Amino acid sequence: MKWSWERFLVAILERAPQALIDHIGMVLVSLIVAIIISVPIGILLTRPRLKWLGGIILNILNLMQTFPGLAIVALAMPILGMGFKPAVFALTIQGLLPIARNTIAGLYGVDPDVMEAARGMGMSRKKVLYEVEIPLAMPVILAGIRTSAVYVVSVATLAAYIGGGGLGDLIVSGLNMFWPDFIVVGAGLGALLAIFFDRVLGLVEKKYTPLGYSTE
Amino acid sequence: MIKLINVTKIYAGQKEPAVRELNLTVEEGESCVLVGPSGCGKSTTLRMINRLIEPSSGTILIDGKDIRETDPDQLRMGIGYVIQQIGLLPHRTVAENIAIVPRLYGWPKDKIKERTDELLELVGLDPETTRSKYPAQLSGGQMQRVGVARAMAVDPPIMLMDEPFGAVDPIARNHLQDEFLRLQSLMRKTICFVTHDINEAIKMGDRIAIFNRGELVQHGSPHEILSNPVNEFVRDFIGYDRVVKKLSLCRVGAIARKDFGVIRESELPAAAEIMRKQQTEVSFLLDHLGAPGGMLARKLIEKQGAALSPGALKELAQKGREAFIQEDALLRDALSLLFELSVDYLGVLRGETLCGVVSLADIREYAAGKEVD
Ligand SMILES: Nc1ncnc2c1ncn2[C@@H]1O[C@H](COP(=O)(O)OP(=O)(O)O)[C@@H](O)[C@H]1O
Ligand SMILES: [Mg+2]
Repeated sequence: MKWSWERFLVAILERAPQALIDHIGMVLVSLIVAIIISVPIGILLTRPRLKWLGGIILNILNLMQTFPGLAIVALAMPILGMGFKPAVFALTIQGLLPIARNTIAGLYGVDPDVMEAARGMGMSRKKVLYEVEIPLAMPVILAGIRTSAVYVVSVATLAAYIGGGGLGDLIVSGLNMFWPDFIVVGAGLGALLAIFFDRVLGLVEKKYTPLGYSTE
Repeated sequence: MIKLINVTKIYAGQKEPAVRELNLTVEEGESCVLVGPSGCGKSTTLRMINRLIEPSSGTILIDGKDIRETDPDQLRMGIGYVIQQIGLLPHRTVAENIAIVPRLYGWPKDKIKERTDELLELVGLDPETTRSKYPAQLSGGQMQRVGVARAMAVDPPIMLMDEPFGAVDPIARNHLQDEFLRLQSLMRKTICFVTHDINEAIKMGDRIAIFNRGELVQHGSPHEILSNPVNEFVRDFIGYDRVVKKLSLCRVGAIARKDFGVIRESELPAAAEIMRKQQTEVSFLLDHLGAPGGMLARKLIEKQGAALSPGALKELAQKGREAFIQEDALLRDALSLLFELSVDYLGVLRGETLCGVVSLADIREYAAGKEVD
């Protein structure tokens, strides 16, 4: 393995922009699909009628969280084949878990006394959900999305193995060709992207934390 | 008017009813305090009235109408509800919390704003400094005031209050109780008030309903309940100081008598003579401005009065210079003062003027059960 500044520049200037765009695209699509699926499921599982199920699902999700990302990507390939779509599918599955888990946990965590008072004043169940439960659970839900985003950014580098493209391509090429410079560019940008998502979503989270929660 | 007819509630999966065959009527403008040990079904009863819980059997009428005929959300919008934990929405300001029910009714913005400020003032909070605070920035007492204001936002004729002052410290609680009584004397709402504290029940209730294990054991005015507890449970629940508690139901003015004499300082040399003529048990000494400043009991004067010089008489009288109490004080306070000063009589004041006398014997007579109006 030998370091070459020439290849390093090629990696950064020629390969990286497209890889980065593909990577971000893959992450954003997976994340948005994951949010669209798991937030409503989380809400559904915390309604009084399904509350019993919510606890069980929450436990299962906690358990599934420990599955390695590679396993899911590997499992997706024989079923869905190669390319962008199966990669997004595998990432979505990965991304679902923290969001659904935090949605359920966040909604469970809403003070029952606040809900009783709200119901007791005549707010409908729907109003209580939209005006009380979701706003109060929002910081926890957003924390779930943040965890999920960081996780999906890193797992997405594995998508290269099933032809999903992205920064993983650089890493895989580097590994195959013994090009350390390619590996550094791919992995480095992946890490920076993860930090970027983490920071940005951290700010969003802060913004949506109900003001009344900060007691200073 | 709230009327519960044969109301029973058995929670799913439980054998014993939480509330059993309850019949209870709360009259228009009356405050009824549900009191009893924890777990006796008070909160359950309250929640059935606003349909947060449905009874297993029985009927609840509000102003003669079965509450099942009204949509639960509509019903609740028209009933003020205050709970011990208050349940202010932590992500909404004080003003937004108070505006919840008015908003449900679709009031216009400026009417809501006006009403919010009016309510904050009513419950003793400064609208300027309070309205845009978040609940976390308030003290426990302030939060509870906001809770009460929020429940009264649309001026509902009925209020349900579940241990509303249970979570604040005793001094703040006393204060809140007094203020609420003042408000209630103006508003005359129909109130169901839950507490486990018999003293609070006696203080707050026009009528008291004592519960034990889901059953109504006794229902009556505080005076009736303290005078005639129906059974051992009620007697125990009230406590051994039942008779002393009764003394907090009556104000001094209600039993004060007019048969007192007055002696001016200049008349002291002839005190014994004057008191004999006035034929009263006790005379009060008025100073040269006419302000009460002492007390002479006839018993004492008859025993040794003739032998005493005016100076000694004055000194004797002035031993009782503290023995005065306002007519709106409670008999309990009068009794305490009598004991504290070791005297048999207290002068009753209306503001600065002497208007009556109350004796230890009068208080004893009241406590023994004689009705006084
Ligand atoms: N939601 C519920 N499910 C089952 N049992 C309940 C529920 N709420 C109250 N209970 C039971 O019903 C009884 C009366 O409770 P409650 O009305 O809250 O009493 P109180 O307010 O007088 O303390 C208690 O034994 C309590 O455990
Ligand atoms: Mg209770």
